[in-house]
Amino acid sequence: MLLYSILFPIISILAILWFFYRYLREKQSLMTVILWTVLWIFVIIFSIFPNASEHFAELFGITRGLDFIIIVVFLVLFYIIFALYNRIDILQDEINKIVKESAINNEITLDDEEEE
Amino acid sequence: MGFEITEKDKKDTFVILPAYNEATRIQPVIESIARKGYNLIIVNDGSSDNTLEVIKESKMKYPDNIHIFSLMINRGVGVATQTGFDAVFKFNPKYVVSMDSDGQHSPEDLDNVITPLVKGEAQAVIGVRPLKDMPFTRNFANWVMNLLTRIFYGVKVSDSQTGFRAITLEALRKIDINARGYLISSEFIREVHDNNIPFAEVPIQTIYTPETQAKGTNSKEALKILIQMIRHQF
Repeated sequence: MLLYSILFPIISILAILWFFYRYLREKQSLMTVILWTVLWIFVIIFSIFPNASEHFAELFGITRGLDFIIIVVFLVLFYIIFALYNRIDILQDEINKIVKESAINNEITLDDEEEE
Repeated sequence: MGFEITEKDKKDTFVILPAYNEATRIQPVIESIARKGYNLIIVNDGSSDNTLEVIKESKMKYPDNIHIFSLMINRGVGVATQTGFDAVFKFNPKYVVSMDSDGQHSPEDLDNVITPLVKGEAQAVIGVRPLKDMPFTRNFANWVMNLLTRIFYGVKVSDSQTGFRAITLEALRKIDINARGYLISSEFIREVHDNNIPFAEVPIQTIYTPETQAKGTNSKEALKILIQMIRHQF
């Protein structure tokens, strides 16, 4: 048995447990946990049974199992970047709103200067 | 005899100056506007130099004309101008102007820019910079931005990237500005167009110095604006 077929399942199980722990602490939505669990289960399957990737590859008309895995990894990474970008965008808007409101509600007067 | 802006018109006008690290340039701009009798809202955009202290010095000289708001962190010219647009409703003026605080725009043009509003010929005005005075790279970036504003927002204007704009309070209520950076110039024009607000262009003078050239819509900013314009389509 190769090292990766022992190492990757262990990492995957730890990752799944981590996601469930975060879900229980209400830091992650159920949908996110399910999606990541499915992904990590695939990692376990492909690490223990590398030939399984070929069956999935055939389903999508891809000749090699490894190509299928690479394409899936790229898609997952693109999704993560997109999700992060969106999240940052929302946070930026929220920061702007707070900063703006704080400024508008606290007009600077010359009395502020005297108090200092 | 030509039309003249009265002292009352000036009192009814608030000029918004967004300021980021303008300590060495902003004071003459503020004081010449205040001297002319206009009111000011100055928004310090989280400057890391002593811009805020310089603005306070000017407020000591013109305490009734100057109102200061300060963003705790730098959020960009768009957010600073939005802050000014929101804050101005506290004072309920008739006309609102926003212009650059780095001395690129001349306070002498204020009367010209608000004239179409006072005369009732328009409810929004942009100050159009003379293209012949513009450095080549800035001129090219501006031409590209005018084209993009036409393509994405469907509005044809002579200077889509001008920071000198005026609007009536009534019209300001109708528009919705969300841009964080220099996209605000194109967004202002789009909002005015989409809300069918009567619009005019007024020629203004521009004072280019090495410092003012370093700011504004250069090619890098133009690219950022393009990306934001594409995003706004979705």
